[in-house]
Amino acid sequence: MIQLEQVTKTYPKASRPSLDDVSVSIDKGDFVFFIGPSGSGKSTIIKLLLHEITPNSGKVYVNERDVTTMRSWKIPTFRRSIGCVFQDFRLLPNRTAYENVAFALEVIGKSKGVARRVVPEVLELVGLGGKEHRYPHELSGGEQQRVAVARAFVNRPLILLADEPTGNLDPDTSIEIMRLLDRINRTGTTVVMVTHDSNIVNQMRRRVVEIESGRIVRDQPRGVYG
Amino acid sequence: MRAKYVLSEVVTGLWRNVTMTIAMMITMAVSLTMLGASMLVYKQVDRMQSFFYGKVEVSIFLKTDVTEAQRTSLQSDLKGDPLVQNVIYESRDTAWQRFKTQFKDAPDLVNATKPDSLPESFRVKLKNPEKFQAIYNKYNNRDGISEIVDQRKLLAKIFGIFNSMQNVALIVSIIQGVAALLLVANMIQIAAYSKRREVAVMKLVGASNWFIQAPFVLEAVFAGLVGAVLAFAALFVAKTFFLEGALKSLQTVFPPIPTGDVLLMLPILAGIGAAVNAIAGWITLRFYVRV
Repeated sequence: MIQLEQVTKTYPKASRPSLDDVSVSIDKGDFVFFIGPSGSGKSTIIKLLLHEITPNSGKVYVNERDVTTMRSWKIPTFRRSIGCVFQDFRLLPNRTAYENVAFALEVIGKSKGVARRVVPEVLELVGLGGKEHRYPHELSGGEQQRVAVARAFVNRPLILLADEPTGNLDPDTSIEIMRLLDRINRTGTTVVMVTHDSNIVNQMRRRVVEIESGRIVRDQPRGVYG
Repeated sequence: MRAKYVLSEVVTGLWRNVTMTIAMMITMAVSLTMLGASMLVYKQVDRMQSFFYGKVEVSIFLKTDVTEAQRTSLQSDLKGDPLVQNVIYESRDTAWQRFKTQFKDAPDLVNATKPDSLPESFRVKLKNPEKFQAIYNKYNNRDGISEIVDQRKLLAKIFGIFNSMQNVALIVSIIQGVAALLLVANMIQIAAYSKRREVAVMKLVGASNWFIQAPFVLEAVFAGLVGAVLAFAALFVAKTFFLEGALKSLQTVFPPIPTGDVLLMLPILAGIGAAVNAIAGWITLRFYVRV
C-alpha cells in the first residue's frame, strides 16, 4: 500500500537530511505510528506521501503508484484517495461543520445531492450528530478535530494520514479521537499517524516506527513509545 | 453546480477587493481606450490617404508676366501629356473668388489682399500621383512658370501629425497596459491570500488545478471585460460628442469616423482585455502565488 525505498530528503539550506536513507513498507489496513522528537523527520514522511515535496533520492509508492515520478496534473486525482488531518484542524471558520465536510466533496465535483446524502452519515459516524450546523468556533477542540476527520474520511479514502492529530487536545479528548481513528482503521482504511504523544502510543499498542535524526531506529509491531 | 460555485466565487472575489477591482478596471479602460483610439486613427489615416490622394493635384503657378502664347502652349502640352489625367485652368479671378470664400471668417486678411495679387494656375490631376517628379522635371524649365507644387507633400505633413498622434496614443496605451497588468497580478495575490485557507483545503482534498484557479482567472477576465466596455463607451462618446459635436468644423479635413469602425472596437477591445488579463492572471497564479 505504502512503500518508501531508500528515501533521502534534504531541504534546501538544511545542514543535514530530514530523512536519511529511509525504507519502510506499510500494508493495506495497517495502523502505524511514526514517533520521534521534533525535527526528527516524521512530518516529512506525510509531506512525501501527499506529494507536497519530492525526495532527493529514493522511491515513494502509494497505492502501487510511484509518487516521485507522478506528473503534477495527476496529483489532484491522486490526493482524492488520501484523507488527511492535522494538529491545527484546518477548518474553514466561516462554514458550519456540515459545510466544511460538504466543501471537500463539492470541490472535487460531487453534486449537492451526494453531499446531502453522505455528509450527515459521516458526521454521525464521527459522533457529531446534531451539531451539523455549528461553526468551528462554536465547537470544542475535540469536536473540531472530529469535523476534520469527517472531512478526511467522507470521500472513503484508502489511506488516512494524521499529522499530530491530538497535539492540541487534552488527554481525554485525545483518547476519543484515537478511538475514532481506530474505528476508521477497522473499515479497512490504512492509517498513518505521526505523533509524539507517548500515552496514546502506549495505549493503542499498534505498530511503531521510531525516527531519530532522519533515520529509522526502531520498527516494532504492537510497540510502545519506549 | 460547479459552474455556479465558480461564478459565486468570482462575484465575492470582486466584491472583497472592490476598490482594487475599480482601480484595475479604470486603468484597463484607459489603456484600452488609447489602444482603440490608436487603431481608429490608423484606419482613419488609411481611409483619408486614399480619399485625398484620389483628389490630389499638382499646382502649376504662372508668373504674373506670363504671355498668352506661353499659357496656351503649356495648356495644350499638359492636355496631351500621357501622365496627365485632366487639367483645369484657374484664372486670377477664380483664385480670388476661392480665396474670399475660404477666408470669409478673416475679413482683414481679405481686405489686405488685392484681387490681382493671387497667381493664375493650372490644376493638374495626374494619372498616377506618384509621378510628380517626372512632371516637375518636364515643365520646371519652361518660361512663364513660377512654381510647381505637389499637394501630396502638404498632405504628407498632415498625415505625419496624425501618425504621431497615433503613436502617442499607442505609447500611453502600453504604459497604462503595464500598470493594468501589475494591478491584475496584485489583485490576484490579494485574492489568493484572502482565500488561502480554502485553497489549502481544496489542494488537500484533491480539487483539480483548473477548479482552484478558475475563479481567480475569471475575476481578472471579468475586470478586463468591464474595462473594455468602459473603453468602448469612452470612444463612442468621444466620437459623437467631441468629433461630431464640438469639433464638427474640422470635418472638412478630418472625415467622420464611421460608426461601424467604433462598434467593431467593442469585440476587439473586449477580446484583447479578456485575453491579456487571463494570461496575466494565470501566470501570476502559476509562477508567483503557486496556487
